[in-house]
Amino acid sequence: MLPTNSQRIWMYRNMLISRYMEERIEAIYMEGKKPVFNMANGPIPGEMHLSNGQEPCAVGVCAHLNAEDIITATHRPHHIAVAKGVNLDKMMAEIFGKKTGLSGGRGGHMHLFDSDVNFSCSGIIAQGMGPAVGAALSRKMQNKSGIAISYIGEGAANQGAFHESLNLASVWNLPVIFIIEDNDWGISVAKSASTSVTKNSDRAAAYNMPGIHIEHNCPDKIFSATKEAIDRARNGGGPTLIEIQTSRLAGHFMGDAEAYRPEGEKEQLIQEDPLPTYRQKLLSENIITYDEDLSLVQETQQLIEKAITFARESEYPEPEEAMLHVFA
Amino acid sequence: MSATKKLTIARAMAESLAQEMRADPNVFVMGEDIAQLGGVFGNTRGLLKEFGEERVRDTPISETAFIGAGVGAAMDGMRPVVELMFVDFFGVCFDAIYNSMAKNIYFSGGHSTVPMVIMASTGGGYSDAGQHSQCLYGTFAHLPGMKVVAPSNAYDAKGLMTAAIRDNSPVIYLFHKGLQGMGWLGTEPAAISQVPEENYELEIGKAKTVVEGQDITIVSIGIGVHHALKAAQELEKDNINVEVIDLRSLVPLDRDHIISSVKKTGRLLVVDEDYHSFGVSGEIIASVTEHDHHMLKTPPCRITFPDIPIPFSRPMEEWALPSTENIINTCSKMMESK
Amino acid sequence: MTKAITIPMDLWEEDEEAVLTAWLVDNNSEVSTGQLLAEVMVEKISYEIHSTYDGTISITCQEDDVVNKGSIIAEVS
Repeated sequence: MLPTNSQRIWMYRNMLISRYMEERIEAIYMEGKKPVFNMANGPIPGEMHLSNGQEPCAVGVCAHLNAEDIITATHRPHHIAVAKGVNLDKMMAEIFGKKTGLSGGRGGHMHLFDSDVNFSCSGIIAQGMGPAVGAALSRKMQNKSGIAISYIGEGAANQGAFHESLNLASVWNLPVIFIIEDNDWGISVAKSASTSVTKNSDRAAAYNMPGIHIEHNCPDKIFSATKEAIDRARNGGGPTLIEIQTSRLAGHFMGDAEAYRPEGEKEQLIQEDPLPTYRQKLLSENIITYDEDLSLVQETQQLIEKAITFARESEYPEPEEAMLHVFA
Repeated sequence: MSATKKLTIARAMAESLAQEMRADPNVFVMGEDIAQLGGVFGNTRGLLKEFGEERVRDTPISETAFIGAGVGAAMDGMRPVVELMFVDFFGVCFDAIYNSMAKNIYFSGGHSTVPMVIMASTGGGYSDAGQHSQCLYGTFAHLPGMKVVAPSNAYDAKGLMTAAIRDNSPVIYLFHKGLQGMGWLGTEPAAISQVPEENYELEIGKAKTVVEGQDITIVSIGIGVHHALKAAQELEKDNINVEVIDLRSLVPLDRDHIISSVKKTGRLLVVDEDYHSFGVSGEIIASVTEHDHHMLKTPPCRITFPDIPIPFSRPMEEWALPSTENIINTCSKMMESK
Repeated sequence: MTKAITIPMDLWEEDEEAVLTAWLVDNNSEVSTGQLLAEVMVEKISYEIHSTYDGTISITCQEDDVVNKGSIIAEVS
């Protein structure tokens, strides 16, 4: 099933938002970190894992989702958070460590929690998988609608929690979908060096659930291929494992020299950048005009600039506020 | 006197590993990103080039499997050095560590050895937040069966790594990210020290008095030692004479060394970046007071991280972390009280 | 006659500034050609600086100082 025109524009718009967000964050992250790259310095301290190139994985799936559906994500969360509808201002403020952030500055970029849209992420590989299974279990037990999506990287497919979560989801027939964003690299270790199978989607068979392999980093293809899994989950048909071949255009983290990448790989990836590719597709199929595109670009940039201004102008928390919200 | 070179802690760790791997073909290294990358924290630089893929193995993200594998290999005659990239990741593989690695010598009645080293990065101060900034000294020190060391400088780093590799018991080797000399976490120049080029061991379980003093004993480990040394310099200007002890090891804990210092000064301050309650600071204070509480002229103090997940935002994290300033203030107060 | 130890012009690609992050020899110590002297960091990448001369080193640039390609960081005599 193909996306409608308005769904395609929705996807494109969210890709624009998250890509522009990453580009702006990349620039702001370096403020205060030149020439001395000390991670503690600048308006955005700590680590930063950017999602440039992986946007289709977020929009192609989230186009099927509602606010009540649950997503758990990883250390590379921004594109998914945007597509899920996480509050942009509060997300940006959280990344800046401000009092007005999603968790008042307690979590930062790797621990973004927005209960309004049932989105959370964390920095431990595969940690989100169990909770996604649990959220699905909860909805099933309460007879409430909504499905759970667990986003992971391909590195997580070698972690114990992956195997346990898939097995449990299958045994209990839960409405959860596991999505692997395969960008081929676990920091410096290539998938071929760490993973015993070529396609992680083949591992689904070991857990008696369907496994879908999506070759192309294209929103429309991802939209179509995931529709079946989404419907299956919603209709009580149980879990699915989906593997998407995507590309990580940025380094693993900001400051990653990427010396481990083979020569020419990066250049090739940049040539295949899914954002300009999708723009061209929409233009050539007359889904949008050049003027509409320009309008969209401007509008989405303004959204991010507004969020950045909000973040910059917000206050830091008082130091002692660190003691709050340990317990409920 | 043998030749020495100035090394960062990262280089000192790598040098120890290289020398031990040359001396003993059973020593091998495994972990995430330790081969081609030389370790995210620089501690395995040069090893892949010298020793090849058989002995320097990048692993999948499968801690339970490769740490468990380390235990099995160690019990079968190999000497694995296994990296847990961030100590915070222990959660996914702790059974292999505390229930297996740490207990198998005992379960075997001493017939088996487990000559395994787990090296893990610790520490915060750069906004890596709750799951990437912990020290967890207490967690590892509390559970029986594993030695725990944490160097504050390159000389100790090399000696302790060599001792750890040669030890037939399992050793947890914790290195503080802020002291590695990686540059992108700031540099602590005092952690860069002259290191003998030859192999040498430092005895595990022996603390060191880095600076002698008459008025207050400060006990710390890792980066806390450097905060204490800076505080000691400042306090000297106010005629407060501080003795700084670098524990170097948590297990075994050098209680005698601490006690004899407090016997002299009568005042005890523990500086520990790990969580406040149920940990290292409480253990040190209890050890001193149960030995002889009359030694103390004033109640013991501790500067620790509060019992909260480590916050991301800089004002909150900086407030929570032990600092040179906190130490100076606390010492001044200790001298005032009767 | 003193000779300058400089940051090689081809050590990294762009014209980014660097920071001297670690001295791996003491001031006034004897150094030899090829010996590892210091580490500099450009963004998050570390580079090694080796001595191009034999002699006694006199350090002119401190840890945490900003340097560029071509900067003199020490003299050897």
